[in-house]
Amino acid sequence: MPKDIIKALAKFELLGMVIDPEYDGLGTDVVTAGIAAEELARADPSCSIPVLFLVGTSWGHVLERYGTEDAKKEILPKAIKGEQIIGIATTESDIGSDLGSMKTKISKKGDKYVINGEKMYISGVAEAIAYGGGHVTLAKMTPDKGTRGMCLFYLPLKDTPGITPTYVEDIGREAISCGGFDIKNVEIPEHYLIGEENKGFYIVHEGYELARGLIALVCAGAASKALENGIAYIKERKAFGRPIGKYEGIQFKLAENYVRIQALRELAYKALWTYDQELQGRASRFEVSMAIAMAKSVAPIWAFEAINDVMQWQGAFGYTKECEDQKAWRGVRSFTLAEGSSEIMKLIIARELLGKDFLAYR
Amino acid sequence: MKLIACIKQVPDTAEVKVDPKTHTLIRDGVPSILNPYDQFAIEECVRIKEEIGEGSISVITMGPPQARSALMRCLALGADEAILISDKAFAGSDTWATAYTLSLAIKKIGSFDIVFCGQQAIDGDTAQVGPELAQQLGIPQVTYIEKIEICNKHKLTIHKQTEDGYQILEAKLPVLLALLPPTSFQPEHPPMSSILKAKKKPFNVWDAKLWEAMNQNLV
Repeated sequence: MPKDIIKALAKFELLGMVIDPEYDGLGTDVVTAGIAAEELARADPSCSIPVLFLVGTSWGHVLERYGTEDAKKEILPKAIKGEQIIGIATTESDIGSDLGSMKTKISKKGDKYVINGEKMYISGVAEAIAYGGGHVTLAKMTPDKGTRGMCLFYLPLKDTPGITPTYVEDIGREAISCGGFDIKNVEIPEHYLIGEENKGFYIVHEGYELARGLIALVCAGAASKALENGIAYIKERKAFGRPIGKYEGIQFKLAENYVRIQALRELAYKALWTYDQELQGRASRFEVSMAIAMAKSVAPIWAFEAINDVMQWQGAFGYTKECEDQKAWRGVRSFTLAEGSSEIMKLIIARELLGKDFLAYR
Repeated sequence: MKLIACIKQVPDTAEVKVDPKTHTLIRDGVPSILNPYDQFAIEECVRIKEEIGEGSISVITMGPPQARSALMRCLALGADEAILISDKAFAGSDTWATAYTLSLAIKKIGSFDIVFCGQQAIDGDTAQVGPELAQQLGIPQVTYIEKIEICNKHKLTIHKQTEDGYQILEAKLPVLLALLPPTSFQPEHPPMSSILKAKKKPFNVWDAKLWEAMNQNLV
């Protein structure tokens, strides 16, 4: 992503807006960040800029909540000014939802930590290498403890000995890089640890939940913009002597998609409001998990189907790269996978409905 | 120094289409924006206040309740308080009635030094409200201003656009200025902290009842 865009986000004070003013943020609630996420997706339906925004917001928030004072002072102001980026790195080549099987390891060596392994399908690797910054990263410290033996830490990528990046080309979100990095005997200072040792798995989920709530609104924003484009098109485009917007086949789809996207917005804002409530001690983490999973489980699917219908209305033009909506179509498709797949969201909902005795995969 | 800015919320003419049958504007679904001439006026107003280092800016509009969003933008751009003059009784006002109503609002505010207006609004393009307002207030006016060079508590130096170039004029206060942005003007987008601060600034809504009482005293 061109640095100009990141600096412009900083100029409008959108980066890290939930972070406390002590670290140069605005200290807004997360609902306000949700409004920004939705509007950014309307402006960039490809979802590239929204991804940079939501990842920095979510893991900046985790760093602020659980990071050491030295790390916060060192990292957050630079990220908020757009001088560096903050990313998230948990996924590995064959490890996505099953984080307990992660292979990357972290161990203590004197007053440092040493990391070995690899991360893959990570957003913002090229940006972190080029501009500075790093990724909030998850690795195993105590392998026999599974998810109870993981550490979360900040891993700078630029000029770090032992980091070798690789890149893949996404089918959408073209303005932000996707890739991975090998980690070979990389040393980080103690103060980059986020939270306590072996608690990383639980801490990282607080970031994921915020990111999922913001993603739900990114999907709503991209789909709303597509529907607006679609409405303008079906009023103008004629077939069989009248605007195609006069046909029931079009109107029914329009109405169905509009209701879904409005319902999605309600779900998503309720979810972020619940997140805010939890931060103030007025809701439980379980309530947050449920509300967020409900919104994220349907967001990319409903948004994708709405955008797909808008492309269908536009006929052959809708399948060309001249059509703006195909960018949104490719962009929101990523979110059935990113930050927790749609299937994992359903497992969370079922877990809350059935109780822990019915936890899947245990 | 007391500065007052009069603004208007207008349909974004870049988004307006013309009905091919009736040849009237199709306003349905067209977003409303702060009149770009008024945005320039507000930005100059804020700049003058910052250069002088003291004073306050009241921003006024007459319009429907949804004009609130244009006033909120002005507050985010640096105005200190907003006044929305809104009542069904004002619907359909022509330029004279609008100027008269604005003049009553300004008289209610009390003393002032400069009234800022955009030269015209992009929907009607009349350029009449500013001059009519100056007349109603009984103060001098300068129109087609593209730059305010020097401003102090007693006088200001301004650049007035002409067909051949510009004139440099001096004006005593109080005065009404109608501003015309230069072609190079790029509207400022306020940062998030200014948008959030705007929500905490005074926002007043005045209706026709207030006017009836004032009319009896003023007319």
